[in-house]
Amino acid sequence: MPWLSLSIAVPLLAALLCALLPACARGAPRLLALGATAVSLACLAVTWARFDTGRGMQLVEHAAWIPTLGVSWRVGVDGMSLALASLTVVLFAVSIVYGVGPRPLSRAAAGMLLLLEGSTLAFFLAEDFVVFYVAFDLTLVAMYFLIALWGEENRRYAAIKFFLYTLVGSLPVLLGIIALYLDSSPHTFDMIRLAREHPLAGDGLSASLVFLAFFVGFAIKTPLVPFHTWLPAAHVEAPTSGSVLLAGVLLKMGAYGLIRVNLQMLPGAFHRYALAVALLGLVSALYGALLALAQSDLKRLIAYTSINHMGYVVIGVAAAAATGISGRARNLAIDGAVLQMIAHGLVTGTLFFVAGFIKERAHTRDLRQLSGLLRAMPWYGSLTALAFFASLGLPGLAQFPAELEIFLGTFDVYPAIASVAVVGIVLTAALFLRALQQAFMGELPERLARLPDLRRREVMAVAPLVALFVALGLYPRLVLYVIDSAHWLAGGL
Amino acid sequence: MSPNGGTFTQAQRAEHEMLKELVWLSPIGALTLAAAGAVLLAIVLPHRRQALVAWWVGAMHLAAAGLAAYVWLDRGFRLTMSGTIAVDGLSLVFTALVGVVGAVCVALLRPAVAGTDREGELYAMLAFASLAAVVLGAAADAALLALALAALGLATFVMTGYRRASPTAGEASIKYYIFGTVSGAAMVYGLSWWFGLGGSTSFAVIGRALPHAPAVAVIASTTLVLVGLGYKAALVPFHFWTPDAYDGAPLPVAAYLSVVPKLAGLIALARVMMLALPHNTVGWPTAIAVIAAATMTLGNLAAVAQRNVVRLLAYSSIAQSGYLLMGVAALGHSHLGLAALVYYALAYAATNLAAFAVVQAVQRERGSADLDAFRGLGRSHPWWTAALVLSFLSLLGLPPLSGFFGKLEVFKAAIGAGQAWLAVIAILNTVVSLYPYLRVIAPAILDPPDPASLPARRSAPLSLALVVATTATVGFGLLAEPLVNLADHARMLTGG
Repeated sequence: MPWLSLSIAVPLLAALLCALLPACARGAPRLLALGATAVSLACLAVTWARFDTGRGMQLVEHAAWIPTLGVSWRVGVDGMSLALASLTVVLFAVSIVYGVGPRPLSRAAAGMLLLLEGSTLAFFLAEDFVVFYVAFDLTLVAMYFLIALWGEENRRYAAIKFFLYTLVGSLPVLLGIIALYLDSSPHTFDMIRLAREHPLAGDGLSASLVFLAFFVGFAIKTPLVPFHTWLPAAHVEAPTSGSVLLAGVLLKMGAYGLIRVNLQMLPGAFHRYALAVALLGLVSALYGALLALAQSDLKRLIAYTSINHMGYVVIGVAAAAATGISGRARNLAIDGAVLQMIAHGLVTGTLFFVAGFIKERAHTRDLRQLSGLLRAMPWYGSLTALAFFASLGLPGLAQFPAELEIFLGTFDVYPAIASVAVVGIVLTAALFLRALQQAFMGELPERLARLPDLRRREVMAVAPLVALFVALGLYPRLVLYVIDSAHWLAGGL
Repeated sequence: MSPNGGTFTQAQRAEHEMLKELVWLSPIGALTLAAAGAVLLAIVLPHRRQALVAWWVGAMHLAAAGLAAYVWLDRGFRLTMSGTIAVDGLSLVFTALVGVVGAVCVALLRPAVAGTDREGELYAMLAFASLAAVVLGAAADAALLALALAALGLATFVMTGYRRASPTAGEASIKYYIFGTVSGAAMVYGLSWWFGLGGSTSFAVIGRALPHAPAVAVIASTTLVLVGLGYKAALVPFHFWTPDAYDGAPLPVAAYLSVVPKLAGLIALARVMMLALPHNTVGWPTAIAVIAAATMTLGNLAAVAQRNVVRLLAYSSIAQSGYLLMGVAALGHSHLGLAALVYYALAYAATNLAAFAVVQAVQRERGSADLDAFRGLGRSHPWWTAALVLSFLSLLGLPPLSGFFGKLEVFKAAIGAGQAWLAVIAILNTVVSLYPYLRVIAPAILDPPDPASLPARRSAPLSLALVVATTATVGFGLLAEPLVNLADHARMLTGG
């Protein structure tokens, strides 16, 4: 069975089906979306079972698509793909449970979520560059509509900004893809071959330009300072589930591309620019934390911490690029970077839910107007505290082992950068603790006293995420044994 | 070339050859029959029976497309009529395209002009235009090229001015006519230089002489030839007529203008450059690349400011000419250029027709093609809106729609031909073009519908045309292989 193709095709077909559902079937879109996601999850579970941790890219499924152009449907998994695809399905499942827009989930909302799910999975599993690019742009369209249709007050502005930035990022990627294609011989869009053969290896200027084209595209998506200005707008204006998916899954596409393309296919050029990239990552980590420190809107604060956390990922990738072909530090940094992507997806997903829950109850997310919430809503308060601690990197929760690995890997190559980056952790710790103190401790004002605690639907949405980030914190090998970059980073099959 | 002064047997042999060649010319014959038959039918049939003329012209267009496919599959390519008409992959694909596009445009025209006086003659003019366009796309001879260009200009000039009562139509067709005549005359003058330099009207013969001719003379005459073809293809700086003509003409005529004469001009340009200026004589690829960059940039920038969707599409089609021209600019370097041009042309034809069909449907119901007429379309007409979104996103070049694969092909051709700078400019243009396209799509989906609800106006031919064009827009992308393969085999005959 083509399990990987199936995991992509089922959500996409279900999205089409949503358009054809009769308007009177009110619960049907939600059931359809959940069913399709369950099938995807099952397909990936089978893939986990069949996955051989001792090998790199594997379980490749291949079918001709446009042979004259050299384009084929080619999907496969290595540790990074499998981990990120699994994260994707989990986050979509909880987002569908929580819903988007009016309840029950409308046909249009279910269709958009499923389109986004299918294309995101296709992006992480694609091993053909055209499929990769098609998926990249489809996520852009689906996310645009999710923000523009069901977002908050300034949704139009945020949606167009998101569209514009991502399009500006995706087009250089297209040029880079064509350049790699034309430089391979025989010409190919096969990402597995390109990762093994390193086209453009001998050509300094072309390789640098192609590296830059890909880097700009992925840096916008990640996002790295100074390409980050779309992020706060999009995250704040998106509906709750939209923010969860945006931060949890879509940001990972940038970092994934950086590893999959820049690091694996253009290692020589990346080696040359590793220090610059690491410095950009450092600036992002620190600047993101500083900006977050200045926020009083909880959602905005979380959005900025994403810049900080993704900055660590980029530092790790750059450190790996600087070490050359192999080495323990290199694998440590990449393992950490991928684990950080997973952990950040789970933790920040939870955080955006937390921000959505309070907005729904108190009609504000302004930390200065909130106080004593722990007493009014003990379950909600505890959940928030746990997610805050996870995000600031408390040992025992998922982001701790990830950040530790990144710092250990980076310390070998860029001790100064690693040391300064730690300041970012201190800053995030400070801002989360301050937020906790402001909103959850202290006096409980009268107007907030009767807020209802977590509802069943909300618990169902966050419980899987919390369970996973706690489990990963206690036993990171759960995912690390799959990620295991030593087996795929060099590009072998 | 011609057998004048020969013996009787020579003449007999020549006649025999010509009769044999009729099979290769059968698509052109079908269109000739379409035009002549339409004129007769329009005169003979009573006023309320003019729909039959539409059926006749539409069916003969489809027949021409079928015959083109037959010639390709069964007979292969051949230079016919003493080497003046090239029946090759390029011209056959274009003939088939004109056949289908012509039929779709007839379907769009019928609801727009049904019951008006001289309805039948409009269909006849469309058939004449298609005939001239097909000949223009196949012309391997300077005299034939000039003839086809003039005939195409005349027929489309009449079509543009069809709504005689409307002042904008008058202005549009006069502007179109004057620009057309002047630029056509410039081209004929340029071709006369080529004749003087090469001693023949055959482009193949001219192509053997021009590389050795004085560069100044070649550059000057080539520029003049470019004026005529650039006007047809709406290339900058010969594009001024476009928005006014599209706006003044009946909308289906604008749809036709944006596809058939434009592509005929571009394909003729490709053929003329390859035949008459082989081996990149006087560096024409660079000149074409510069025109491509200017055309797409001006088209997209001007589209940003439009509030009328027809004018917006007019500027968008200018921009698309620029992308198409990237394929022409890469012709001299490798085969990628021609394949890219052909595939992009097919994708563009489908996409642009779908876009125009939606605009026509909206204009029919709401009486306006302003941006405001599209507000809230998603609630009242979800299927129209789906077609609108798909066609506009395809014009933008988003995957997996056909417009994306078109861009992928032309970008590949440009980078492969060492014109990466042009690909970069095209990419910047794509970003700019997001604004005009999204400006139509976004209010259609995001705005609440107009409270003053209008009765839905349906038209079977219009709906059919819309479905066909939209299906092709998506299908040419998702199932691109047959088309890409076709484009890959659509070679050009270069032999004398």
